[in-house]
Amino acid sequence: MKSDLVLSKAHLSYWLRQLRKEADLIGPLRSTDGDIVFSSVENIHDIVADCPANLPCQKEFLFPQKEEMYKFSPKGTERPGNHKKRVIFGIRSCDVSAVGLMDTFYGGQYEDDFYMERRKNTFFISIACNRPDSSCFCIGLGTGPFLKEGFDIQLTDLGDRHMVQVGSAKGRQMIKGFDHIFRRPKKADYDDQYEANLSSQSKFEKRITLDNVRRKILAGKVPDSFWEGVASRCFQCGGCVYQCPVCTCFNVVDWKDGGAEKGIRMRIWDGCMFKGFTKMAGNVWPAEQIAARTKRWYFHKLLYWPEQSGKFGCVGCGRCTITCPGKIDMATVANRLEKKD
Amino acid sequence: MKNTKVHWTCKDVTRKKNGKRGELYAPVMVRVLDVVEMTPDVKLIKVEKPKGFSYSPGQFLMVSVWGAGEAPISITSTEGVHNEIELCIRKVGLVTSALHNLKPGGLMGVRGPLGNRFPVEMALGKDILFVAGGIGLAPLRALVNFVLVRKGDFGRAAMIYGSRGPSEVLFRDDLKGWAAKGMDITVTIDRKAEGWRQNVGLVTEFLGKQKIPIKEGYAFICGPHIMIKNVMRDLSLMGMPTTHIVTTLEAHMKCGVGKCGHCYMDGKYICTDGPVFEYPELKKSGAF
Repeated sequence: MKSDLVLSKAHLSYWLRQLRKEADLIGPLRSTDGDIVFSSVENIHDIVADCPANLPCQKEFLFPQKEEMYKFSPKGTERPGNHKKRVIFGIRSCDVSAVGLMDTFYGGQYEDDFYMERRKNTFFISIACNRPDSSCFCIGLGTGPFLKEGFDIQLTDLGDRHMVQVGSAKGRQMIKGFDHIFRRPKKADYDDQYEANLSSQSKFEKRITLDNVRRKILAGKVPDSFWEGVASRCFQCGGCVYQCPVCTCFNVVDWKDGGAEKGIRMRIWDGCMFKGFTKMAGNVWPAEQIAARTKRWYFHKLLYWPEQSGKFGCVGCGRCTITCPGKIDMATVANRLEKKD
Repeated sequence: MKNTKVHWTCKDVTRKKNGKRGELYAPVMVRVLDVVEMTPDVKLIKVEKPKGFSYSPGQFLMVSVWGAGEAPISITSTEGVHNEIELCIRKVGLVTSALHNLKPGGLMGVRGPLGNRFPVEMALGKDILFVAGGIGLAPLRALVNFVLVRKGDFGRAAMIYGSRGPSEVLFRDDLKGWAAKGMDITVTIDRKAEGWRQNVGLVTEFLGKQKIPIKEGYAFICGPHIMIKNVMRDLSLMGMPTTHIVTTLEAHMKCGVGKCGHCYMDGKYICTDGPVFEYPELKKSGAF
């Protein structure tokens, strides 16, 4: 059940302050060196709500770069767990869609309890994008700039007020008890929302249809030499996989406390672009060639994700475009493939 | 194809035990009962079978030593034949070295059983050829024992087993026992060696020399990648239908449950979609 409300901008900080009493409030903040990153909000007025669309993403809060799984010692093991309640304010539609994909991936027959525990305790207040970046292409994927579903609460900036759309039980929980600051939308509010919607859509510089790309690959029109060309520009920095809100691969390592028999089993992000990713003990190495590795990343997102879940493993956030030093990001490669005969 | 993935049930002891919280990555600690040194670098480790643990030939465990890590190890014992869980482990890396240090009475962590199993029902009433290379005999041993105790259900059974050298031949007692049960066994080593009176050569050189009708028979293969690739190709060229050719693969794995991404290959996770695959499934991929 969805419902729409309107919130005056004057009331936004009050609402967030109240929510912060119940949970850790995470929002886009300017760090001391000038970058904008998602972190715990001390002062509500520090939130940079009009931040660029593609910040370092919220993945860290659901699937941390380094997560302690088990503490072990001769006495036994202990699972630290994470039950912290979080409200994450200010993520964009593409990232909400990415969380949806992650839910599919980490759920299923084998449910990842570490992810699910964090997910259960995380609430999102997302902002419908009215200022897409030049690298954004969610519009071609339907993962943004405005969402029809999949969000907890979606805000649309209407100048002096926000359209507040409630899309889940978690969303309803966040507005509960705040009847005095929300009001029902009028026709003018919907009109403004519609206009914001249209204006945002007109601002996209990249129009990419991954469906066309997928069909071309499936039809066998993309030779291996194309992927070798792509791979020749790869620096193996791993920026694409670390920035990607949909990439989920991890490594598990046992860290031992000195020479003692105690330590921590943790998982850390890993990336299929790295040389040792598929290396087995005994030096057996299935995806040794870099072309095989870059191809694997693209095929996973463009072919196998749709095969398994009906959706692309890309939400068009454009982060790989910004981060890739070799200019072989999803948008560039997809663009080249789309134009290829 | 039709019966491969659905007809198996197993109690995942890890999840069962931690049922309420459903801890996917929590190993269950089991006691080591016996350690048999098979060759200088291969040990057969027998561990207690936890209550309610049930598995099928082809499945594997994520075996874990706190402080060293986890590694996927196929189960080489057979339910109904062996009372313990037997794991045949070659010392190649960090985890396997730690496993080699275990003594009877020690503890190791296990998660599983994981993965699919050999679709052996497809070969009911038919002749079966097993082709093993090196430690690839370990997962096949589980199936061989499974088939031999149900001898009436299957036709003839034959095996070609290749090792690098005479000192590396594994499961010698089993091989003798299987031969005594009427299995046609060809043991071969890669290069001539002093004192070796049996066959010399790669396993592919012995294909088709058994009394297994190639066109109706079934083949179960495990070994190094290159061996699997060549045996599958040769059998198919000799006229064995590709759907009759089954293999089991290994990969670098960190989770065993389709999450960590390391074993991902052409749209399939070797851990959850495999490790057992039929040739047509693999043929699409460039690796085979």
